[in-house]
Amino acid sequence: MSLYKRSIWVFHLNTGGCNACDIEILDVLTPYHDVERFGIKLVASPRHADALLISGPVTREALPKVIDALLAVPEPKVVIAVGSCPISGGIWYDTYSTIGGLNELYRILKEEYGINEPLTVRIPGCPPRPEAIIHGVALALGIVKQKVKFNHIVIG
Amino acid sequence: MHQLISSFEGLQGKVKGINYLNDGVVLVDTTPNSLFDVVNFITRELKGIFTVIIGVDAREIDGSFHNIYVFSLDELKKYVLVRVMLEGSDPKVPSITPLIKGADWSEREIRDLLGIKFINHPDPRKLIVPESWHDGVFPLRKEVSYKLRAHGPYEPYQPRRSEDVIALPYGPYHPLLHEPEYFELHVKGETVIDIEYRGFHVHRGIEKLGEARLTINQIPFVAERICGICGYVHSVCYCQVIEGAAGIEVPERALYIRSLILEIERIHSHLLWLGVACHVLGFDTGFMHAWRIREPVMHLAELLTGNRKTYGINLVGGVRRDLKEEHIDKVIKVLNEVKEGYTKFINYLTGVREVIKRLEGSGLLPRTEAISYGVVGPVARASALKRDVRVDHPYAAYKDVYFKVPVYNDCDNMARLMVRVEEVFESIDIIKQLLDKLPKGPILAENVEVAEYREGFSAVEAPRGEDVHYVMTGKYSRVYRWKVRAPSYSNIPALKVMLHECPLSDAPLTIASIDPCFSCTDRLIVVDVNTGKRFKVPMRALAKGWRP
Repeated sequence: MSLYKRSIWVFHLNTGGCNACDIEILDVLTPYHDVERFGIKLVASPRHADALLISGPVTREALPKVIDALLAVPEPKVVIAVGSCPISGGIWYDTYSTIGGLNELYRILKEEYGINEPLTVRIPGCPPRPEAIIHGVALALGIVKQKVKFNHIVIG
Repeated sequence: MHQLISSFEGLQGKVKGINYLNDGVVLVDTTPNSLFDVVNFITRELKGIFTVIIGVDAREIDGSFHNIYVFSLDELKKYVLVRVMLEGSDPKVPSITPLIKGADWSEREIRDLLGIKFINHPDPRKLIVPESWHDGVFPLRKEVSYKLRAHGPYEPYQPRRSEDVIALPYGPYHPLLHEPEYFELHVKGETVIDIEYRGFHVHRGIEKLGEARLTINQIPFVAERICGICGYVHSVCYCQVIEGAAGIEVPERALYIRSLILEIERIHSHLLWLGVACHVLGFDTGFMHAWRIREPVMHLAELLTGNRKTYGINLVGGVRRDLKEEHIDKVIKVLNEVKEGYTKFINYLTGVREVIKRLEGSGLLPRTEAISYGVVGPVARASALKRDVRVDHPYAAYKDVYFKVPVYNDCDNMARLMVRVEEVFESIDIIKQLLDKLPKGPILAENVEVAEYREGFSAVEAPRGEDVHYVMTGKYSRVYRWKVRAPSYSNIPALKVMLHECPLSDAPLTIASIDPCFSCTDRLIVVDVNTGKRFKVPMRALAKGWRP
């Protein structure tokens, strides 16, 4: 899973989340957790970023801008989905003003732009704890090993 | 109370009926034709400040739409709700925006979501739904499913590009303030003349979700997801509405626990804002210090609620988690440490000359404009308007504690900073008083039963100002209509005044100074009025003194 050899620069993209994940992301950057010691740095432009921290269920209003930002991140890129909302759409998965999470976003990317799903790390929680966010980014960096493997569970 | 009702006698024939919704809320019925007179009477004679308009699709009940105009009478400690019934087939009502500037957003929202026409409204554009949303589909009408995604075909985002435009290669997102928002600043030379706002990127359809899919006791948990910073405020406010409508007696101890956690939330939210304000000023040392001081408060929240974000302890009728005796000493110890560190930090911050010079005299909001826009919270208190729901309309355990409401007359960014700085000290004091007086007993009311089609209304003082909820209960322990008005909804339109004739470099700070809840801007479009040129500028560049 280690895509990067050195520091990872992340761009934070709120796609319509409630701010809880966003302030936890800020929290990991400030003195108590201080992720800059791992070389993780928040940058102002997706063009400078290696990874995209996505929070929120992707609202319809934000969708075009989210795609724009996603396309602006240079390859190789990794998407880090923070919180329940981007992973599955959260409680808003079928409301009228959201598209319902990353899977739908990836489907639009595939159909409209012919772009395959980028490497994605999913951090569950509502909101995830700062430690979990650090763990997720460390997973993308290859600092820690993934312990649980993805498994399809079909219900019914 | 009777005094208030008799004062309405002057409006003979224009008022159809007066009822009490609950203790501090009066419901006045009128007709669309008399609306102007009643509104004028409330704002001029009773000194009512406009809060919000609530639109209800009540066609299932009485075949009409209801428009409820809410005014806060701070001196009389009452809310007045003016209800107008509108025809079910073709609802229309005269717009009150020409009278009250603050009504603009409310009316546009109801037009977007319920399809009520506002005659003579000055702004025909959409506010809440995307531009490509189908005309004639109104999401909050009862026949429309909450799943109906009636937006037009997906079109890739096209930033305005022409020879005059410098389009910087990042979208309307900026790591400075963390939420999608869109402002257009119109400038003449270095001075801001006007501001355009396009927001609601974060509209998730939460009211419709609550009405369509959830039961009364599930909604507090969703209400907390309205905002990740001050979520507990929303769940408390919602629970108070239902408790008021159903006449549920909440145990004293539960009220104290609610107040306690509300104050913890206020401390962490104000510290967060202080950090962000320092960040916007380019003073990152202050940002780091503020967040360093904030972290123990988050641990405290986790200790008391089991969750860093003060989530999940509210239910209709009380709270789910009791305060343990051994935690009380710990809370006081942590608060003393926070107070010590915070005092040091504030002494240091107010001694930095560059910070003070940037804050003083910028982003002026005069008192008269503050009333006209109906601003709330620290923004109002910094404009010499003494408004605090905790004092004006007491709820939870605030009637039992003593605290000062800081009010400043300077109307500038410095005043808004000082109001928040002082409020943290007051909050620490309130928590100590609450812990001192904490009564014993149960924490959850028994027999929570809610009758159908009852109305309720309540307000809570959020860190950003007055948060307002309205509920009409429905059948099968569901809600028929749930309306939320978050504080920033009142404060953001007032930016038009604050940014008028303000230097460009002060704009990001002024926008941040109202502490917008769906946190602030990402990027601004700057239009030079002299040449008509458009530039797209990141906030951070503006903050560092960008020149056209």
